[in-house]
Amino acid sequence: MTAMHDYWQHALDELSRCPARPEIEPLPLRSTAFATLYGVRLSSLGPYRLFGYLSIPNGAGPFPAIYYAPKYQSVLEIIPQGTANLQRSRYVTFSLAGRGQRNADSPYAAMFPGLFTDGIDDAASYPFRGIVADSIRGLEFLLTRREVDPARVVVAGNDVALITAALGKGATHAVTAPALFYRTAELAPKTQAYPLEEINDYLRLHPARAGAVRRTLANFDLVGLAPRVTAATLVMAGAPGSLLDAAALRPLTAALKGPVTVYESQQSLYKDGLYSERWMAERCAIADVQSILPEHWRE
Amino acid sequence: MPRALPAEYRSKVRKPGDFDAFWGDVMRQASTVPLEPEMVPDPLRTSDDIETFQVFYASIDHVRIAAWYCRPAGRAGRAPAIVLLPGYQMDPPIPKEWARKGYAALSVAPRGKLRSNRQFNPGYPNLLTHNMVDRHTYAYRGFYVDTWRGIDFLLSRPEVDPARVGVTGSSQGGGLTITTAAMRPEVRAASAGAPYLCGFVDAIELTHTYPYEEINDYLRLNPERRADVEETLAYFDGISFADRIACPIIVNVGLQDNVCPPETGYALFERIGSKDKHLYPYDGHGHDAGRARHTAVVDAFFARHLQGASEVRR
Repeated sequence: MTAMHDYWQHALDELSRCPARPEIEPLPLRSTAFATLYGVRLSSLGPYRLFGYLSIPNGAGPFPAIYYAPKYQSVLEIIPQGTANLQRSRYVTFSLAGRGQRNADSPYAAMFPGLFTDGIDDAASYPFRGIVADSIRGLEFLLTRREVDPARVVVAGNDVALITAALGKGATHAVTAPALFYRTAELAPKTQAYPLEEINDYLRLHPARAGAVRRTLANFDLVGLAPRVTAATLVMAGAPGSLLDAAALRPLTAALKGPVTVYESQQSLYKDGLYSERWMAERCAIADVQSILPEHWRE
Repeated sequence: MPRALPAEYRSKVRKPGDFDAFWGDVMRQASTVPLEPEMVPDPLRTSDDIETFQVFYASIDHVRIAAWYCRPAGRAGRAPAIVLLPGYQMDPPIPKEWARKGYAALSVAPRGKLRSNRQFNPGYPNLLTHNMVDRHTYAYRGFYVDTWRGIDFLLSRPEVDPARVGVTGSSQGGGLTITTAAMRPEVRAASAGAPYLCGFVDAIELTHTYPYEEINDYLRLNPERRADVEETLAYFDGISFADRIACPIIVNVGLQDNVCPPETGYALFERIGSKDKHLYPYDGHGHDAGRARHTAVVDAFFARHLQGASEVRR
């Protein structure tokens, strides 16, 4: 067994000993004629209490589900900014704040930038170990809902979404835009842009910790985790020529076990967003995707 | 029925008759609060070429505001300066890239953002509708002032050339660019991308995506408060501020913007008072508003208006 395997097995074992104890409360302000929104509190390893937004379409299910895994930002969105609210009429959606994000920031309030390198020299206590566990706990919770069709469950987000698909159970599809954990130590020196610049900042101030940082990051390396992903996966690559373009991500896409679609950004949130919305809808057997697109994206 | 072309859209926004009096009073209230600026070196974010500081200053209602401040290391003489204003839910970035271009750059975290949320923290979603029925307590009253006080911070710095201050941002940062350029005559050039907070009452009909959807949520639950809401928003709408803008300004919009409808960008642009204004519409683009192509336009714009000015004086 590899060190990566042991690292995650310990985390998963610890998580399994921590009951979720969910509390679910309707939120009338965000409920509509077509969907009801709930605030959800549940426990993850630590123990640590998390928060998420669960939206259930009105009507007879079961429905396909989109699980929005914790993002690298302080704010927890109900659905991603710019997504048509009508998406909630066709999918169960669940967005989760990992520890440190707003609504899950007590006792740990993360900084952005800052979270990426906070405690990165100690793999055992690195906050992202807990955040990955949080994300897996969120998926587990979603799959307990009788409104969810377990044959149509999409996990969407950045690296944490893909790691969740690798380590958690029940994701049938994944949409991922790697940003943090793909060959991090190798790629960070090639850019001055955040979030990878956080690694450069950290190692400039703490050069003696480079070995420890590499050891921590090795546990999160997406290429190493990819063989455990059996879900059909859409990889949202950067634009051609960018640091994380399709060519750069080829080792990752080749290592994924399930079917893979690679989309290269056209540097348009419209074109890129439309592609991923259609990809999810097609896989979830939603025929009339036009009706749940933002007004300015409809044909 | 197909939508009308964005350029042909007619906004419902009407500037209140006492708009200037309202904001004049707010400015007077703000002026009674000493800035009390503080600059704390941040060695983690500092490198050989860029010095980075965590900045704090006081704003209206004595709320303490945080910001990131980057400047080129070892620069002799006064530098042009840029204020960067953040999107609605983004965490304000560390503006190293602007410092690398030769600017002293301030990235403001208005109240409610991380590091500025000890005294005021309505959260997200919620900020947009927080106290929306009363213009005297609406969340954006203080939020706007926090960004304007960023100009005061820059003017307090000896390394900043007070005649070469610009402001920029996209989405909410674009809307705040409009209000800042309107209220602070010290701003010599402004670049607003995909401006949010412009055409609130138009946007909630044109699109049903967050963050504007927060207003629809509020009105669905509180329909009897619509008149109060619309009255308040008219005082905070970038379109109401736009005729006060006198500096050179560029605006870029995406014609498939699903967050800030392009119709509102056109309506805003039409009302901008500056004679030196230019609109860049990008077809095939959403809320990015053509950023990949437009960045070079923005760089050239500020180089011309803020860096070129130095050569003229010499």
